[in-house]
Amino acid sequence: MDERRTAWLLIVVLVGQLILVAIEGARSSSSVTYAESLGLYLLGPVARVVAATSGSLEGLRGGIRLQRSLLAENRALRQQVEDLRLHLLRLSDVEEEMARLGEAIRYAAPLAGQIRAVDVVYADRTSWLRTLILYTGSQSASIDQPVLSPAGVVGRVVMVAGPYAKVQLVTDRAASVGGMLLRTRRQGLVRGSGQASGGLNLEYMLLQADVRPGDRVVTAGIDGIYPRGIPVGTVVSVEPGGELFHKIRLAPAVDFAKLDQVYLLDHVSVPREIEKAVPGARP
Amino acid sequence: MRVLRIFAAFTLALLAHLVGMHLFPSFGRVVDLFLVVLVLHALEGNSLSALLVGLCAGLLEDTLTNGPFGLFGFADTAVAYLTARLAQRLVIQRPAGVAGVVAFGSLAQQGTLALLAFLLLPNPSLPDPVGALVQAAGCGIIGMVVYVAFRRWSRVLDVRRRSRVSRLRLE
Repeated sequence: MDERRTAWLLIVVLVGQLILVAIEGARSSSSVTYAESLGLYLLGPVARVVAATSGSLEGLRGGIRLQRSLLAENRALRQQVEDLRLHLLRLSDVEEEMARLGEAIRYAAPLAGQIRAVDVVYADRTSWLRTLILYTGSQSASIDQPVLSPAGVVGRVVMVAGPYAKVQLVTDRAASVGGMLLRTRRQGLVRGSGQASGGLNLEYMLLQADVRPGDRVVTAGIDGIYPRGIPVGTVVSVEPGGELFHKIRLAPAVDFAKLDQVYLLDHVSVPREIEKAVPGARP
Repeated sequence: MRVLRIFAAFTLALLAHLVGMHLFPSFGRVVDLFLVVLVLHALEGNSLSALLVGLCAGLLEDTLTNGPFGLFGFADTAVAYLTARLAQRLVIQRPAGVAGVVAFGSLAQQGTLALLAFLLLPNPSLPDPVGALVQAAGCGIIGMVVYVAFRRWSRVLDVRRRSRVSRLRLE
């Protein structure tokens, strides 16, 4: 093919991709292109094999190290189990009391969801466009499903291709979570800063609001994705921002560098009856 | 044979990228192996082949990232085509020259990505300028190392082939 035809082909390819990007940029989170889905189908198994191989190598190395400190660790864990048992006893008392009080004032508690553990097969948490690819096994994930770790919110599922799912991390600039200050119950919007450090910003917090470094932020349960009360981060700095709002920076609750397994939360944010009556309803 | 070589190069790049991301979480910020492969291929000067390889590399990167599908596809196709056109006009054989072209390709890719994100996305997150320079330097160094290693390997193969042919003639 001569250079002129190649140049025309280049123009066609570039314009085609430009249109694709423009459509994708404006698309809803539930629509996914076939090419992207196919790509994830093909790349997912490779990523899984690599993750499993390096995981087993790390496990082997860790096993040798573990054997040396096994006795001391066992002793410490036994002590920890005893402490936790006592703590659990106290908490079950508190839970019963809460349930009794809730019944007395007819409080409808938010629905608790089921969680299931899934493996992370690919993680890119430092580059410009952050990604996590999960292997969910026979039970596929669903779009917008919350992804959690024991420390807090990780992100939400944005794409599903069979047993593989792509996750948008909360630290991504395009991600947003309804957040609430645990101390004062003030609500705002948590957004990824998009910086390499992986921080978060708490936006739309009025200047009158009492916010201090060290305040913990949890999900507010107002975005229709995450249920209430899951840790998001801790306030690290508060500065006077524009005319109305504080400029608040948060440190994420989750250490994204340590994620090799996460939890998918199966929960219904809007009860089915309400969804039927008011299509597209959000809590 | 050529297609197989490109396929093998991309498979190796993919495996190295996945292993690298597992071992060093910042690996993706320091080097873009797919870009290195496509620029080294484009340096051969065939613009059509470079265009197709750039398109495949870009779509592969789009699958691994969380941006809109086609973002890397566009940038990599443009970079590969421009590199091939540059290679048609200039003779780039010195390792330092190759490093420079790969680094420039990386900067051009990131500049294109930033421009596209700024123009087309509602809430764009732009790459960090220092990170972009670090990645360009990383890509340049890796590109130079791969180029030198591949050239040496080709020479060794060539010498072996020649000696085998001369032995056959003697016999």
